[in-house]
Amino acid sequence: MSDAFAGGSDRRDRLKRVALYAVLVAMAGFYLIPIETGLMTAITSPETYTGQTPFLPPLEPLVSGTGSFSLAPWANAFDGLARGLANSFILVVPATVLSGLLGSMAAYGLTNVEWRGQIAVYVLFIAGIFIPYQAVLVPLTQFWYNVVPLQAAFGPLAAAVPLVQEYHWKLVALIVTHTAYGIPICTLLFRAHYKKLSDEMIEAARLDGASVSTIYRRIVLPLSVPMFAVVFIYQFTQIWNDLLFALTIVQFGDASVVTQELVGIGVSQSGTNFPLRMAAALLAALPTLVVYVLFGDKFAKGVTA
Amino acid sequence: MFLVLVGPSGCGKSTTLRMIAGLETVTDGEIRLGDRQINDSSPADRDIAMVFQSYALYPHMTVRENMRFGLEESTDMPDDDITTTVEQTAGMMGIEELLDRKPSDLSGGQRQRVALGRAIVRDPAAFLMDEPLSNLDAKLRATMRTELQRLQETLDTTTVYVTHDQTEAMTMGDRIAILDDGKLQQVGTPLECFHQPANRFVAGFIGEPSMNFFDVERRENRLVADRFSYPLSEATVAQLGDATELTLGVRPSDVALVDTTGADAFETTVDVVEPMGNENNVYLAFDAASDDPDTFVATVGGMDRVETGQTVAARFPESALHLFDRASGEALRNRELADADEIDPRV
Repeated sequence: MSDAFAGGSDRRDRLKRVALYAVLVAMAGFYLIPIETGLMTAITSPETYTGQTPFLPPLEPLVSGTGSFSLAPWANAFDGLARGLANSFILVVPATVLSGLLGSMAAYGLTNVEWRGQIAVYVLFIAGIFIPYQAVLVPLTQFWYNVVPLQAAFGPLAAAVPLVQEYHWKLVALIVTHTAYGIPICTLLFRAHYKKLSDEMIEAARLDGASVSTIYRRIVLPLSVPMFAVVFIYQFTQIWNDLLFALTIVQFGDASVVTQELVGIGVSQSGTNFPLRMAAALLAALPTLVVYVLFGDKFAKGVTA
Repeated sequence: MFLVLVGPSGCGKSTTLRMIAGLETVTDGEIRLGDRQINDSSPADRDIAMVFQSYALYPHMTVRENMRFGLEESTDMPDDDITTTVEQTAGMMGIEELLDRKPSDLSGGQRQRVALGRAIVRDPAAFLMDEPLSNLDAKLRATMRTELQRLQETLDTTTVYVTHDQTEAMTMGDRIAILDDGKLQQVGTPLECFHQPANRFVAGFIGEPSMNFFDVERRENRLVADRFSYPLSEATVAQLGDATELTLGVRPSDVALVDTTGADAFETTVDVVEPMGNENNVYLAFDAASDDPDTFVATVGGMDRVETGQTVAARFPESALHLFDRASGEALRNRELADADEIDPRV
């Protein structure tokens, strides 16, 4: 093969690369501009914010019309959302862990332990995934407000235990609701993972004298870590971002979660405070990003497993 | 005792093993271990250890933890004793250096050793092994075969070993049990099964290359096949009773290649020669001219010169003949062992 020919194909390869990167950079820019705009708006002083060029950094007095730099929107957003953030954390951590753990246990019982009628029970679990939220809103309100005396039980509890407030009963109701709603999808995800576990390995453990629960605790659970990362990220995002159940069960008041608080922040009769709204939105989204970063490598393992 | 369950795939040998282990339910019959009936005991209560084909090691545990697991779950042994027992067994298996590694860091042969070690450390009443060597390469398999036999002699624990490989069955078993289609065909020492097969299936399954079979019909004291007719002695005829539809079996090693045809030697053509070094497998055909000749095999010495296309006479010595009832497959006559040369090389 001649050198000239090799050189030609080399140049063509390089051109292809350049074109590829150009397209990738353009796409990345296209998708990132809204976030960039939000970020820039959030660090602009509300008094100087004009809304003319929201994607430019606030460079006044250097560049006129861009607004002046200020971190006040973040401080205000944090003040405005503090209660919601705290309530959301109280709710999301137990609900995520519980739905993951119960889903994993259910999947183990439905996959690696043999008994009659498994499939029928599993079908019920799967059906749970398809129940629309809208269909359960009214029964859910009835259930937590009229059927279960949770509120009554929390009165004395709040008096006796420090840090527990009476309004926490709403968060407990939300935790149970989200857990129940999360179990079917978690079971489905874990079952896919458990079907791939070697039957011989489970049998080896049985012959080694391990009981059903010991096999779960010592063999299956440690091998589920990547799947837990997937489920935790999924459930955390799902529950953190939920507004519908929160509106139905919490309705309003001290137990409001961050999505509820976010709805009203920066809106008043005198107009919309865009920097504050942007800062609040970014702040409310931050925990889900942190969870991705924390579980990201395990998540990748779980998805590709 | 080292019992080998052998048979073609799907014959029920693994199921049998799993029933002994308690992983399958038994619908009928009885399983006894020593003098206790264990049909209804759970796998954990049977005092049995099993080695799986895939080794089934716990991937998240180190070798040490893998070996400890069974002792921790099935006994109340104190921690110190477990540590000592695990280390002793690891020493015996030559896997001490591997104790702190995970199964994913081990080679196939090492995993195999760990799987054996994990079974041995529990000191069970019986070992069950489900094709434990089938994932190893040929050379390692041969080594492990010898080692397993030695180990079993040292431990002196009843072992049930499942394989589809008749070489493993022949070389390892004190007894072998041949299964086909869920039915037990024969139980006996390897040599009994080789020389005195109970039926045609066993005769064809044990031995490599397998026994040659010809459909024959008995007319008075002759066996008439498509291509040859074989005179039988009075003594042989007497063993056959009144069966006339028969299958004649002769082992490749018993077929002799000679230079003259005779009453028990027939003209054939050499179709293919497979040189094995120490011996040649010679495929012979009565109808070499046809496109798809029916061949049978003779095993001759490695130094014998046999070439494709050569015409030879194949002699079937009467003493080496097996005769089976064609319908039932049952052996009517097995080879005589009287003429086998016995050698007893003792110093």
